[in-house]
Amino acid sequence: MDQLLQALVSGLLLGGFYAVMVLGFSVIWGVMGVINLAHGEFLMIGAYMAWGLFRLFGMDPFASLVLILPLMFLVGYLLQIVLINRIVERPHLMTLLVTFGVSIALANLFKILFDADPRNVAVAYNGSVQLAGVTFPIVKTIIFGAALVIMVCLHLFLQRSRLGKSIRAAAQNKTAARIVGVDINRVYAITAGICIALTAAAGAMLSPTQAIFPFMGPPFTLKAVTITALGGLGRIPGALMGGMVLGITEIFVSTYVAGIGTNLGVATSFVLLVLILIVRPQGIMGGLRPIDAEAE
Amino acid sequence: MGTGPPVKTSEEKAKRKLSLPFLAPVHSLLAGWVGLTLWLLLLLLLALYPYTGVSSVALFVGSQIFVLVTLASNWNLIGGMTGYVDFGHAVFFGIGAYIMGILVTGSPLLISPEWGFWQALPASGVAAALFALLIGLPTLRLKGPYFSIAMLGTLVAMREIARVLRPFTGGGVGLNLPPLLNRLGDYYLMLAVMGLVVSIIWWIQRSQFGQSLIAIREDEIGAEMRGINTTLHKIVAFMIAAFFTGIVGGFWAWQNTYIDPDVVFVEARTVEMVMMSMLGGLGTVWGPPLGAVVIYFLQDLLWGSLFGVHLVALGVLLVVIVLFMPEGILGTLGDRSSTSLGRLLSRVGRSK
Repeated sequence: MDQLLQALVSGLLLGGFYAVMVLGFSVIWGVMGVINLAHGEFLMIGAYMAWGLFRLFGMDPFASLVLILPLMFLVGYLLQIVLINRIVERPHLMTLLVTFGVSIALANLFKILFDADPRNVAVAYNGSVQLAGVTFPIVKTIIFGAALVIMVCLHLFLQRSRLGKSIRAAAQNKTAARIVGVDINRVYAITAGICIALTAAAGAMLSPTQAIFPFMGPPFTLKAVTITALGGLGRIPGALMGGMVLGITEIFVSTYVAGIGTNLGVATSFVLLVLILIVRPQGIMGGLRPIDAEAE
Repeated sequence: MGTGPPVKTSEEKAKRKLSLPFLAPVHSLLAGWVGLTLWLLLLLLLALYPYTGVSSVALFVGSQIFVLVTLASNWNLIGGMTGYVDFGHAVFFGIGAYIMGILVTGSPLLISPEWGFWQALPASGVAAALFALLIGLPTLRLKGPYFSIAMLGTLVAMREIARVLRPFTGGGVGLNLPPLLNRLGDYYLMLAVMGLVVSIIWWIQRSQFGQSLIAIREDEIGAEMRGINTTLHKIVAFMIAAFFTGIVGGFWAWQNTYIDPDVVFVEARTVEMVMMSMLGGLGTVWGPPLGAVVIYFLQDLLWGSLFGVHLVALGVLLVVIVLFMPEGILGTLGDRSSTSLGRLLSRVGRSK
């Protein structure tokens, strides 16, 4: 019973992180139909930035978000303008190939810059609290809280603000959005900026809990695809739900399948992904657009 | 969705592109018997090459190039001709390498007498082909980007699994194979494999089987309506591509004498295959081999000395090629529609 409860709590905490990790990926896919295969690499960059700020200035990873968010917004904005906007209306294959190329280039660039050695961010509060027989790791609980806050903010932004509305309009019907005066390229660039910034923020928050190395990205990209397929494109409640499902599944696999530990996370999510794509290709919850729209 | 001014962009681009249509007849000649004759002639010359008294380094370089050509051609069969862009093709390379490693070292759980290289090599290919059957049955049902991602997932998942299955694979520590150097043998073996693979691709492209694959790429539902058993065709193409990739993987493990999950199950190897096919001309017979040779010498000349830089350059180059030369060398120099991405682009430009 205790083990079950512990697994549930750990799964939920992990799911919270997954939900915030997937937001950027899911919104980019939902709004412009681009599957960003370099998603994990931006997460990796965020983690390295948090590590660098921690090493140089002793800055707390959560405090360093103040710097990381605007900086990575700029990176995402520029990337979209320079690269992705040129091909966003061309066959899917091209954006897929370009983001794949970007991901390989970034991962190997960071390998050259920082070696392949795993780095750690050892924060002082890296302990855990016991509550009713269940262990709550402090950092992961903070991440969970921050994830909820970020999701609520993003949800409000997309639903209420003028800019958020134009982003949703661009996602739903690009032509109509153009007709009513939405500058699609600018909206795309802002969307990419927000999404890359959020992804890097997720990486920064992750940094105290996991070793940071240049090739940490692809598993996250893959998990992001799975969660998005579960929760629907660009849907924030969907991201939360999908993240929870994946987090709990992963923890249950590592708890109850003997002798494996947490090493089968990707394999688990891969099986989930293929099952979803085959059984319910439109995703479990639907979203900004059907998941197989424009599959070219 | 997806309307708006894409018409303008792609047509403008088509006009701006350097295109030499008078080369088109050369292409159709090359696709026919002339191409095969020239290819066999080239193979003959390459077979005589070691008799000119070259160093073992040159032989090693030769076998490396043959490996790349084989990989690129294999990838092109599924990614270019069938139109299923496989981002995890390195998984078959890895499986071939591991089967070779396990059989040759007689890894703990297996019965001892260890297998020799010549028994293990076909086993590598067969294992990879069987794995392709197993993984292809679910994943080849997925369309477009979902197939690509599912295969990328297969690759990353297999890397994890290879790390977990310590008794078989040595986990993260990897396996050491007996170092038996035979540069001349390697050269001829890979020359033979490369010759076979490219000839098979040439034959496939002319056969009804190959035309069916192209029909699947262009319009899968239409192909099915015409009575093509699309599932069977896709699976067979996938298995052929996987078989030879597995053979190359097994050979590579033997030549490298050391394998671990991070060395054989790497995305970079897939990028290499994609890259070389794209550069030469996706979906053509001679494009991928050409791309492979170009990439090899580019790597050697430009960034061979700087360790690790070539992978960054590879990623950047992929981006550049997709942006500026999506039809590859052959498509740019001749008939744009001879490469699959060229066709896709012109079709999207027309239909919207």
